[in-house]
Amino acid sequence: MILPDHEIIEECRDVCRATVGVYVLTSCYGCQLVMATVQKIMEVANLVDFKCFYMVSSKSSLHEPVDIAFVEGSVSTEKDLEELKEVRKNAKVLVAIGACAVNGGVQSWSEGDLDYDKLYASVYGNSKIKYKGLQAAPIDSYVKVDYYLPGCPPEEDEIMYFLSTFLFGSYPEEIDYPVCAECRLAGNPCILIERDAPCLGPITVAGCKARCPSFGVPCIGCRGPVPHDNSWFDSLALAFRNKGYSKDYIRERMKIFCSHDKNLEERLDKAFGRKK
Amino acid sequence: MRYVKLPKEKVYEFLEQLKSMGTLYGPKKISEKFYDFREIGDVKEVEFEYNRTITPPRKFFFPERETVFTFDTVNVEIHETLPTGDPIIIFGVHACDIVGLRIMDSRFIDDQPDPYYQTRRENGIIIGLSCLPDEYCFCSVRRTDFVDAGFDLFLHLLPDGYLVRVGTVTGHKLIENSPEYFEEISSEDKDNFAKFEAKRRSMFTVQGNWDDMRYRLELHLDHPMYMRESDKCLGCGNCTLTCPTCRCYEVKDLPTLDGAGGERVRFWDSCQFRSHGLVAGGHNFRPTKKDRFLNRYQCKNAYCETTTTAYCVGCGRCTYFCPADIQFKENLLEVYGFGGGA
Ligand code: SF4
Ligand code: SF4
Ligand code: SF4
Ligand code: SF4
Ligand code: SF4
Repeated sequence: MILPDHEIIEECRDVCRATVGVYVLTSCYGCQLVMATVQKIMEVANLVDFKCFYMVSSKSSLHEPVDIAFVEGSVSTEKDLEELKEVRKNAKVLVAIGACAVNGGVQSWSEGDLDYDKLYASVYGNSKIKYKGLQAAPIDSYVKVDYYLPGCPPEEDEIMYFLSTFLFGSYPEEIDYPVCAECRLAGNPCILIERDAPCLGPITVAGCKARCPSFGVPCIGCRGPVPHDNSWFDSLALAFRNKGYSKDYIRERMKIFCSHDKNLEERLDKAFGRKK
Repeated sequence: MRYVKLPKEKVYEFLEQLKSMGTLYGPKKISEKFYDFREIGDVKEVEFEYNRTITPPRKFFFPERETVFTFDTVNVEIHETLPTGDPIIIFGVHACDIVGLRIMDSRFIDDQPDPYYQTRRENGIIIGLSCLPDEYCFCSVRRTDFVDAGFDLFLHLLPDGYLVRVGTVTGHKLIENSPEYFEEISSEDKDNFAKFEAKRRSMFTVQGNWDDMRYRLELHLDHPMYMRESDKCLGCGNCTLTCPTCRCYEVKDLPTLDGAGGERVRFWDSCQFRSHGLVAGGHNFRPTKKDRFLNRYQCKNAYCETTTTAYCVGCGRCTYFCPADIQFKENLLEVYGFGGGA
């Protein structure tokens, strides 16, 4: 699909209040925590009607229709899947929020290496648990997602941007360029060039203002791959290979937040299959 | 043109004098290997011998990110947020970067006057500084290695100070108002200036003239170099964001939560990004990484009427700051037919 069909809600300003739900599947609740503690939370609470927001209200319900649904967490159990389907059914606009919902999260690290049964056995042995687990997956493996708000956790200014544009009757513009761009705009030195740091900034979608490289720490890719097949794992792997990193090391590092990217394995093979 | 000498022992006093006139920026060492133009607090931090800064001087006139106006949806008004026009002094700009600024002027002043850029530029003082090239520099073949306009003062290194070329009326006033820092030049200074220039010229790794480069590139758009090299490219945009003559920007509206207003911001964009070529209706006129890669090579080698040079001034940043180690100069030579070394 070239253009997402931008789902928007009607701007209602003084006449009505947009209804919003914040839902959680399998995750650390970190995204909700950030959402609940944005500086303007009181202003947000006055402008919208929260139908569901576990961290803020015990009167939360999954079953009410909402204009905007923010879904945190990966689908990792059958219960997650049922809830997700219920949320999708009730939502006009559905936003995947955070690394887990957008890319499957760190719980997807072993994707492609260990299947569900092996993972289950290594954690629970022969014991039974009271729900049926599933291989961790991003929510768009199961339902249509209208917008993606990545980050581990997401950035406050992006949360506010998403909310503001929705309430304005518009929609947030997608970012399709990597962390490096914001790293330059932030005036940082490049630690990949300067000290051969395994920085994943070149394959990771921007939006965090290069948070980690700004502190001299290499990006680990928490915002996930640049969308539209523009995450050049092969080119970066080649650059790392020339600096002496092994394929296993590079693959492990890229898999932390990009394990569900359909191009990852093929592009890694391309980098390591060819002559230097 | 007027020439004076700034003796070594007067350099810091002169910098102090400049600092008292506005905000002073100059080259500083920001990490183990990199330099950048930063605000100068202590004049002793100024780095006189540097090859290139990680951000180009255009950032002082066309900032990385700025609000261009705020909007009020209740009264249906927009309010431009024009810069205040406070004086800024950029010290230590190399010749190639000065031509880079004149190239920026050609688009942001001559072509379509941009009040944000123009206001800042009119309140900026440019002090040039001589340099010795490293293996990434190729300003010589771009005819941007020596400037005769675009600076207020230009400092050429001498064994015991600087030979100063005065470029503008503002430059004259700087000298007239602080005669205590300057001396008349001697015949020895003139000899030393000529020696420095000769030494500098002999150090360039490419010699000759690349005025015909753009024709060679246009005639060989299908050269295999593009596929091979774009395959290594990360699409990270470092080559354009560090370039002193890249002009592309993106704009975005940020509404307030209550919808009563907001602001429009613009920030640097790059043709190495997918959305740069994306237009209404979903068509992308540069759909592949190779298309984007090729675009930069063509754009940078196009002809700028104002300077009569290419848009690329040969500063070497796009190679030095490329995380994929893609060699712009060598790739151009390959297409030109020299196969790496003229
Ligand atoms: S430090 Fe990392 S994010 Fe920053 S420019 Fe270098 S590779 Fe990109
Ligand atoms: S720099 Fe990388 S790891 Fe750090 S916050 Fe940004 S995307 Fe996440
Ligand atoms: S099109 Fe590309 S190379 Fe040309 S000015 Fe814009 S960003 Fe720079
Ligand atoms: S294209 Fe490269 S060498 Fe030329 S001016 Fe831009 S950054 Fe410098
Ligand atoms: S800096 Fe290098 S890797 Fe990045 S977009 Fe430019 S050519 Fe490609």
